[in-house]
Amino acid sequence: MPYLELKGIRKTFGNAAVLNGVDLAIREGELVTLLGPSGCGKSTLLRVIAGLTDPDEGSVFLGDRNIVALPPRQREVGMVFQSYALFPNLTVGENVEYGLKMRGAGKEERRRRRDDLLALVDLEEKRDAYPQHLSGGQQQRVALARSLAVQPKVLLLDEPLSALDAKIRKNLRMQIRDIQKRIGMTTVFVTHDQEEALTVSDRICVMNGGSIVQEGSPEEIYAKPRTEFVARFMGSYNVLSRMEAARLFGDGIGTAESYALRPESAKLLPAGDADSGKGEKAGGRIVDARIEAVSVLGNVLRYSVSAAGVPLTIDRLNDGHPLREGTSGAVRLALDPSQLLQLEKEGA
Amino acid sequence: MTKPKAGWTHKTFMLLLMVYLLLPLAATFLYGFAKQWQTTVLPEGWTLEWVREMFRDARFLDALWTSLYLCAISVALSLAVMLPAVFVITVYLPKWETFMKGLVVLPYAVPGVVAAVGLIRAYSSGPLDLSGTAYLLIGAYFVVILPYMYQGIRNSLITVSAVELLNSAELLGASRSRAFLTVILPNIWPGVIISTLLSFSVLFGEFVLTNMLVGGHLQTIQVYLYRRVGESGHLASAIAITYFLFILLLSTALMKLGKKMNGVAGR
Repeated sequence: MPYLELKGIRKTFGNAAVLNGVDLAIREGELVTLLGPSGCGKSTLLRVIAGLTDPDEGSVFLGDRNIVALPPRQREVGMVFQSYALFPNLTVGENVEYGLKMRGAGKEERRRRRDDLLALVDLEEKRDAYPQHLSGGQQQRVALARSLAVQPKVLLLDEPLSALDAKIRKNLRMQIRDIQKRIGMTTVFVTHDQEEALTVSDRICVMNGGSIVQEGSPEEIYAKPRTEFVARFMGSYNVLSRMEAARLFGDGIGTAESYALRPESAKLLPAGDADSGKGEKAGGRIVDARIEAVSVLGNVLRYSVSAAGVPLTIDRLNDGHPLREGTSGAVRLALDPSQLLQLEKEGA
Repeated sequence: MTKPKAGWTHKTFMLLLMVYLLLPLAATFLYGFAKQWQTTVLPEGWTLEWVREMFRDARFLDALWTSLYLCAISVALSLAVMLPAVFVITVYLPKWETFMKGLVVLPYAVPGVVAAVGLIRAYSSGPLDLSGTAYLLIGAYFVVILPYMYQGIRNSLITVSAVELLNSAELLGASRSRAFLTVILPNIWPGVIISTLLSFSVLFGEFVLTNMLVGGHLQTIQVYLYRRVGESGHLASAIAITYFLFILLLSTALMKLGKKMNGVAGR
């Protein structure tokens, strides 16, 4: 039985439908990410769980209790905001204690919980500092400790890392995931960053236009995007029309209207070397191609190539022997038809 | 080379501005203590006679006291009504903001004389006969400071992201009123103090409405000053300077209070 379950959540603001009957079930201790571009309804869905936005229709079950009509303070749900929303008039320690105080916990218990949680987020020495004297990353850790202090049943994270710079973001997301696993906290994480979603989640729900368009483990979502939207959103997938796919792979590619090809699934080979195609999987195809541009992404080289008139992005491990554009930029491309994914129509 | 030059221009400009603003004040100050000041650049002799005369006149202190408590009551009333009202509108009923914005510019749009005549006509007969009373004046004062109070409180709420603070507090188990008292009020307090101070100064200097509404019945400091100008310029200067010093002291005290509260808030 799911721990947190959303059933048929609908919400419209004015004439715009923000959520179109969303269903979602989350197991205890699971970290589920709502991933999508801005305006897809992911934050609204989170606010519906928190009770900050009332849905027009639908129910929210926590355990076996429908909490959809309860005010936020009775839901036992913790939330961390993108803007931290720490109380500037209180010290770090008082911020963490705030929820316990509101619930009437005794002084002893409050102090003990406060010290435990500040230790958990590694900020014991900042106990008596005011939030505005902390860095963004530290403030967000305080916000995390504050929401965990009251032992919520579900933790909601609304783009918690988006206001931070890249290095701290990567660090903190591993820290959040670590803490979440350690205390087994059921968590819903909202983000627009696919890399973030892939690294922290047990399960990802890709959202678009107020619906969940695909749901699955990070591996599934990355390797098998179901629609063109997911393929494009998950990164550098080559999305091909039926005609383009046929030009590269020949006939027998199935019946879909559009196809996806991962940039690392095709291999670049030097031109003119007739034997280099050997050893490829049976059924593999070799196509003549021309390199248009190369960019270095660190451990990966990203080539923009044109193969049979189809523009493709191809990634190649940066092994110290980069394949340079020759005088004509001519190369050959080894394609594996089993790597070509058929995409469903949007909304299917 | 350009930087010192720019600094020089800047300084000159500031100096001119200060002279422009402070010269009338300095002249009034000197005139209030001058014995004779007719044909010379500076007064020929000094005297404390005007100040003494002013303080001998019981009506002066009466008027000062009347002004003080009328302004204080009006500002306190406005604070008591506007603080919860603006909070509710900004946080829970943002749709009403357009209406409020229209409402708060009305006191600017209606000239003081027109407002006064309208108020006198509306309240001089009928069920509410308030003409010439302090109640009418307090009501009018409330309207005059409406824009300052509304903008000040609203800006403070927006600056501290009141909605998010409130959401956090509610999710942590606080009731709305408790959240308001524990996390909203302490954070907007400095801004609210400034608005209150500004409103108070505006009222203390307001003359047109005051004179027309209660001029014949209540002697406020403004009305008193206006009456005495005709008698003696020296005396009027002494009154004006005392009045100015009084406001200066009051403002400084309130500013200090605001800073102290800021300090408590840990900023």
